[in-house]
Amino acid sequence: MSHLHIPDGILPPLFWVSGLVITALLLFWSSSANRRSGPRELAFQSSLGGIMLAVMALPVPITAFDYCMTLAGPVGVLLGAGAAFQVSFVVTLILALLGQGGFTVVGLNSLVLGLGAMAARPLYLALAGGLGPARAMAAATALSQLMSTVCWSAILVASVRLTPGVAGEHAVAESLFRIWQQTGAAIVIPILALAVALESLLGYGLGHFLARVRPDLLPGPTRPSSASDRPAAPPAASGSP
Amino acid sequence: MINTFAQIDYLASSGQSVWHRSSAFAKLLLTGWYVGLAVATPSWGVLVLLLVTALALCVSARVPRRLMLAAASTPLMFSLIFVFAHIQADWDEPLILIARPMVASLTAVWLVSTTPYPDLFAPLSRVLPRGVGDSLFLTYRAVFALLARVERMWSALRLRGAMQRPVGQRFGLLGEAVGTVVLSGFDRSQRLYQAMQLRGHSGRICGCRHYLEFTPEDFWVLVAGVWGLGAIFVLGHLRPE
Repeated sequence: MSHLHIPDGILPPLFWVSGLVITALLLFWSSSANRRSGPRELAFQSSLGGIMLAVMALPVPITAFDYCMTLAGPVGVLLGAGAAFQVSFVVTLILALLGQGGFTVVGLNSLVLGLGAMAARPLYLALAGGLGPARAMAAATALSQLMSTVCWSAILVASVRLTPGVAGEHAVAESLFRIWQQTGAAIVIPILALAVALESLLGYGLGHFLARVRPDLLPGPTRPSSASDRPAAPPAASGSP
Repeated sequence: MINTFAQIDYLASSGQSVWHRSSAFAKLLLTGWYVGLAVATPSWGVLVLLLVTALALCVSARVPRRLMLAAASTPLMFSLIFVFAHIQADWDEPLILIARPMVASLTAVWLVSTTPYPDLFAPLSRVLPRGVGDSLFLTYRAVFALLARVERMWSALRLRGAMQRPVGQRFGLLGEAVGTVVLSGFDRSQRLYQAMQLRGHSGRICGCRHYLEFTPEDFWVLVAGVWGLGAIFVLGHLRPE
């Protein structure tokens, strides 16, 4: 659900203007934090952004419906907070240009995707020593997905309540809200849990693979590699925790 | 998905309509004007006219019907949440909530289908921090190569029965497969970095000023803009009471 992009013209201006301001501040912060990184890091960052876009387009079949992944958590672990937020913004902007999500809400959509990605690396670094890279990646991905979904849901609920002429003023809307309160949690929470679990499994598989094949791409202390003549991975983005 | 990106890119670069010959800057201004109108106007009359106009723009630019349908229907799910909250005896408020994102989405698809991406991203990169602007260009270029890689990966997974396994195993395997794409993306980024060094990358990807070269066809973009303005005066009184 974290990449169910919010379209234009739905949310109150207070929300999307605030989203644009916060996103602008975060973009300038991340640029300042990453000013020492060069074209090598930029190229890797852009490749991961391309992979994010490509993976979002893959519908993975689960029983009767399809699920689309975001890869925000693993990208956050690999790039760090600043670069991960930049990637989230670029991906959101390209999707907005394709009609997936709005222009005025590009700030909010970037925050929904990016805040989760930004939180992934600190958790990974805290857990990698004890749990190993694969499990730590899974946990970081779960946190990322949770944060993004909670953020998206909070924006949705707050904007529905703040929009003039909404539930409470109309009998039909009131009864719809009552039904939602009674059954909504029973529907949404299992879906949320499923989404978090599936993304975590994806993160686990990705972490497991990279730990075996290219541990130098993962942040934190790398294991000694038998292929010591491999080119060095881009250093972790400066300013990232 | 790669067909969608490739189709849009091909159409933007080789289309022959009057919109393809107009300048990128004028089209960006028109898009901003229409999105701003759609978001700000309380009149359903104006929105319906803008929706018809956006459809006409897409049809005259020969945007594929599939893309138009996707652009029109994608925002609907989010809009429906607010439509249900606004259900009452009248029909005009739900109509506004549905029409607004559709106008914005269709206008975005028209813009990206009639404007080559260097002309589209160059003005955007001038208002974004340097690293973000460069990342926009590089991510878009990376999408094509990595989408093809992801689609081959996806075919291989399905042909080798990975998607027939239990759900828990399915996503773990998918994560490992995505790991191969991440490595491919990393290798690609190294080659791109070397190419940028060889070609004298000076710290910023050159965004040309071609987007500022106005053409006689910009007259029609101006007509479309004035059309939107006229809609406000003529139909602006058609709004919910």
